[in-house]
Amino acid sequence: MAAYIFRRVLLMITLLFMLSVAVFFLFNMLPGDPARLTCGKACTPDLIEANRKRLGYDQPVLVQYQNFVGGIFFGRTFSADSPEPIKCEAPCLGYSFSRHEEVMSLITRAAPVTFWLAVGAFIIWLTVGISLGIFAALRRGRWQDRLTLGISLVGYSMPSFFIGLILYYFVVIQWKLLDKPEYVSPFEDLGKFLATMILPWIVLAVLYAAFYMRLTRNQVLEVLNDDYVRTARAKGLPERTVVVKHALRAGLTPIVTSAGLDLAGLLGGAIISENIFNLPGLGSLAVDSITKSDLPIITGLTLLTASLIIVANLVVDLLYAVIDPRVRLT
Amino acid sequence: MVRTRTWSLRAAAGLCITSVMLTACSGNTPASQAPGSSTGVTPTTGGEATPDTGGAKPGGTIFVLTQAEQWDQVDPQRVYTGEDLAFFGGTIMRALTAYKFSPDATEGTSLVPDMATDLGTATDAGKTWSFTLRDGLTWQDGSEVTCDDIKYGVSRTFATTVINQGPTYAIQYLDIPGPSDADTKAGYLSSYHGPYDKDNAAGQAAFDKAVVCDGKTITFHLNAAHGDFNYTVTLGFGAVPKAADTGETYGTVAPYVMSNGPYKVESYTTGNGGKMTLVRNENWNADSDPYRKAYPDKWEVQFGIDPKILDQRIMEGSGDDATAIQYGQIQPENLGVIFQDTETTNADFEGRAISGFDPYSRYYWIDVNKVKNVKIRQAMAVALDREAIRLNIGGAFAGDFADGAIKPNIGADYAPTGLWDSFFGKEIPNTGDTELAKQLIQESGEPAPTLTFNFADTPTNQKTAAIIIDSLGKAGITVKPAAIEPGQYYSVVFDAKKAGDFGTGGWGADWPNASTVIPPLFTQKGGWDLAKLDDASVNAAVDAAFAELDRGKQAADWQAINKQSAEQMWHIPTFFGLSQTIAGPKVGPIYRWSAYGSWPYGEMYVKE
Amino acid sequence: MRQPDSLRVDQRAEAGPYLSVSNLVVKFPSEDGIVNAVEGVNFSVTRGKTLAIVGESGSGKSVTALAIMGLVNRKSAKVTGEVWLDGEELVEKPDSGIRKLRGNKMAMIFQDPMSSLHPFYRVGAQLSEAARTHRKISKKAAREEAIEMLSRVGIPAPRRRVDDYPHQLSGGMRQRVMIAMALINSPALLIADEPTTALDVTVQAQIIDLIGQLQSEFNTAVVIITHDLGIVADIADEVAVMYAGRIVEHASTERLYASPEMPYTLGLLASIPRMDRETNRLDPIRGNPPSPLRHPDGCVFHPRCKYTDRVPNRACFEVRPELLESERNHLVRCHIPAEERRRIATSVLGAGTGGGAAIATAGAGGTGPAAPVGGPA
Repeated sequence: MAAYIFRRVLLMITLLFMLSVAVFFLFNMLPGDPARLTCGKACTPDLIEANRKRLGYDQPVLVQYQNFVGGIFFGRTFSADSPEPIKCEAPCLGYSFSRHEEVMSLITRAAPVTFWLAVGAFIIWLTVGISLGIFAALRRGRWQDRLTLGISLVGYSMPSFFIGLILYYFVVIQWKLLDKPEYVSPFEDLGKFLATMILPWIVLAVLYAAFYMRLTRNQVLEVLNDDYVRTARAKGLPERTVVVKHALRAGLTPIVTSAGLDLAGLLGGAIISENIFNLPGLGSLAVDSITKSDLPIITGLTLLTASLIIVANLVVDLLYAVIDPRVRLT
Repeated sequence: MVRTRTWSLRAAAGLCITSVMLTACSGNTPASQAPGSSTGVTPTTGGEATPDTGGAKPGGTIFVLTQAEQWDQVDPQRVYTGEDLAFFGGTIMRALTAYKFSPDATEGTSLVPDMATDLGTATDAGKTWSFTLRDGLTWQDGSEVTCDDIKYGVSRTFATTVINQGPTYAIQYLDIPGPSDADTKAGYLSSYHGPYDKDNAAGQAAFDKAVVCDGKTITFHLNAAHGDFNYTVTLGFGAVPKAADTGETYGTVAPYVMSNGPYKVESYTTGNGGKMTLVRNENWNADSDPYRKAYPDKWEVQFGIDPKILDQRIMEGSGDDATAIQYGQIQPENLGVIFQDTETTNADFEGRAISGFDPYSRYYWIDVNKVKNVKIRQAMAVALDREAIRLNIGGAFAGDFADGAIKPNIGADYAPTGLWDSFFGKEIPNTGDTELAKQLIQESGEPAPTLTFNFADTPTNQKTAAIIIDSLGKAGITVKPAAIEPGQYYSVVFDAKKAGDFGTGGWGADWPNASTVIPPLFTQKGGWDLAKLDDASVNAAVDAAFAELDRGKQAADWQAINKQSAEQMWHIPTFFGLSQTIAGPKVGPIYRWSAYGSWPYGEMYVKE
Repeated sequence: MRQPDSLRVDQRAEAGPYLSVSNLVVKFPSEDGIVNAVEGVNFSVTRGKTLAIVGESGSGKSVTALAIMGLVNRKSAKVTGEVWLDGEELVEKPDSGIRKLRGNKMAMIFQDPMSSLHPFYRVGAQLSEAARTHRKISKKAAREEAIEMLSRVGIPAPRRRVDDYPHQLSGGMRQRVMIAMALINSPALLIADEPTTALDVTVQAQIIDLIGQLQSEFNTAVVIITHDLGIVADIADEVAVMYAGRIVEHASTERLYASPEMPYTLGLLASIPRMDRETNRLDPIRGNPPSPLRHPDGCVFHPRCKYTDRVPNRACFEVRPELLESERNHLVRCHIPAEERRRIATSVLGAGTGGGAAIATAGAGGTGPAAPVGGPA
């Protein structure tokens, strides 16, 4: 096990390294000119050229990459000419000249918001999705099943931004049941935190819950026909035990995979919910940076999201081994 | 699109304000057909143009709601967006001169003294300008705003390796030798390197000669005559106390900008949920500032608000949103709910919404080196179905049809060019004149060309491209679309090697003088010459107009070049942009300040 | 039709059959029509005896077994007829009542031990779960019982194996575990559904032997379901041959092997390779079994029967034959006259007929095929 994890971590570092190279070179191959973005409306070719040099974009991509990686391990200094140069301590993911802030501090500021958003929604959608899925599977073909399936279809086909806007409009603006969302840390003001997060959680959870409901239902229906479930019944086990202990345990493995990766994806930012509910998370940071072609932030976020997904993959694989003894981690 | 539509219908039903339901809903207030102010210069300044100053009183908080995640810049040398200039100018950043607050387009672009006692004195045939500072100017820490603070601020513009993205008029206009090759290589645009380079004695000496402080009088020596230099000083000539300057991060991190206006920055966070809070600056001396009214006690700018929610909040206008104003534009689907037409608001929003010129003119640039034949360029313009394109971008609310580069809201420099009425000997319909286009191609003596069209890759632009392909295609011109990532658009089209033959563009004047329109667009000065035009006669005409100190004659010069630009079709003028904004019911005055196409922040107030 | 109450008392008697199935019908409504899986099956088994139900896949033999166990989903299937287990009727019994019998009085083992054991639980846990479901014993005691059972089914080092996962065992070992699990509550009825099909040929005989050995130890009534007549010769006391949801021939093992009468049985026997026969020719039955959605008119076997011409008036094509006593304790469902049937058997099976020398059977006394209780099938 330890050797396995060690190897996986090594692999992860290699992957991240390759990814950072890919991201770096890919973004550098884009037709745009990052230097142009640093100068405003009245831009002269001289000014663009000057800025290109100042930001180091005139150097070969390889050198730029070296600087970037060097920054991660040893830190860097930006805007050396300034009366107060910016010392970006290691691990330094770069400095955004359009936001006048270090990428690392931008990310560490936005990450908790997205974390709470994703985890809260995750808990809701797993609870609701899985229990409804089991419920529907056990009442397969009956009206309860059809109703649940119908609801999930609606949830599934409603675009998040639509649900988000509707909820915001009615709950906040029209009925004034909740205050305007304004993110606070749960450790600071739990009540306000919950009041702010409940709608975005619902918006995010609706789509996923619908998906997990269907996934669970299909899984349970499938395993209920499996031989070992028949064996469990043949032993005379109560139906409850048959479903929960025998069928679900086996049926949940694909759900675990799916859930792990979905959560990791969301931790990279939930763009629509963050924007509608004005949450300063990673998703809105990413969108804004992409619109502005803010290369340092995009690079940092891409690496972060990729790391999350790689870590999630590892966790899912480890979980798999815990759930299914046939899986050997070698 | 369908989804968006659904939302707007729901919203409309909820608020009960569609035109059909108007009578049923509003009851007490019949829709008064208040005409827009018809000053002649701004035919489409709509809504309630007359400021209702009766309700003005000190106190309260005005909330500024914006979709943007942050200010572009918060630095006197770097702020360069109309609305931002208006906001900061009205609250924390004073300049030597400023524009008068007025709903009238011409008055709103007229100059008044701010930190200076008057509008400045030009000597040496417009090559030397002096301004005298008022008494009692103070920083938020109580210290005096000195001539040296202004001089230091101006010097920062030269530190192009630290202070970027701002206006560069100081570098262009001040009498300081240009950069050597070594300077250029080091990233400087002048032989002076700004205040941060300590090993630039010669440059510093040149700057000290160009900008001279004598007690309360600051004198600027220019490299050429600039009759409108007192307008120039509204852009990037703000004061910064040397001790407070942190360079790159000045303004964006605590303790933020050192204010010399009636407010000061209490806090600033960016991103979704970010806020900038301005509170009263106790050290501001009202006697030294007859310009700013400073009514509200507090300003709170809220960032990262979803544009649809932003509209709904202000339309609802309850709670804090009663004193909120929109920074940005009303979403297209709400325009029909708020306005009857571009000049009249619906009763429920009377006195709350405005429709008027934004600062920008839209056009399609044509690379004159790639499309050399003027007849072909004219054929392109004539064939264009401008009506369909305008419909696609929002119809009449999006803009008026443009007849040149200079926009009417600039004031005296605008004169109709007659491009679409008379130039071709007949009126060109807004839907295009295919036959005339074919005839022009024939007259060109060239075969109908195949051209590449550049546009930022957005859904609206994609539809526009389809209309262009279609309408130019009817005249025999084949158009190949070349979409560019929105964030990359300008960096691609400015690169002649990567750019296509023509594409979308837009430009707004920096101050009410076409000197900030014609030269950047059609000469190498100012760097927005998408037409890639570098014509000796045009350059000479522009230099002559610059040198003309008689404002009337200068206006005529600009008008002539503008007419020429339309006739020679260096770019195809399409629309003079309009935009619509809304405010909560308890904030005023409600008008579009023509100086920046913005709210008149400096005289806004919270109503009873 | 219900059995008279007086008979119930009889069936509780020691000598009576432990399991008695009468006129069992199972239908599955489906989108394509009604699937007639079992169409009136009658048989009974006494403790200590073994009944083999033989037939091709789709003949309804497994559904019969599942119906007895109450493992046919009553929401999706229609089960009628009567199943008597130790004096209790099961078809009318609520699910909860049958559940208490399953794994307790009656147990079942399945074809594929790999998929029938839960892959995520240790074998010990699966065994003790079976014990603890029906008896109030401690976890520790159940575990000890599990080890004891593993040892009895011939698993070496059971104390170590008890903590293995199913995937760590060989195929034969897994089936031994299944058997141990089935027998942990000492059921009086064991149904083995193709217990050796998924196993290696060398292991098959061991498992059959094991079942036989445990049967005598526990005095169990055993129903073995198989498609392979060869495998049951050693263990079964009686054989019932099923075709298209019906029993077509039912006799003592000795009798059935020695003088089969139904042409389908002949076909099954002819396809067993036998050392004692001169002709080594395998003679499989031509054609395929009928679709359970639509059984043919007349004798359900007629489309595959070579001898329909031996019956006058096209009876094979038009009249459903009854399961009738040909000789004592030998039931046959066939229109061909008995004499003619025996002639055909002799010609097909040759010299072996009547001798049965190659087939060792454990004494044929005691149990005979149950006469139809509820009237004609």
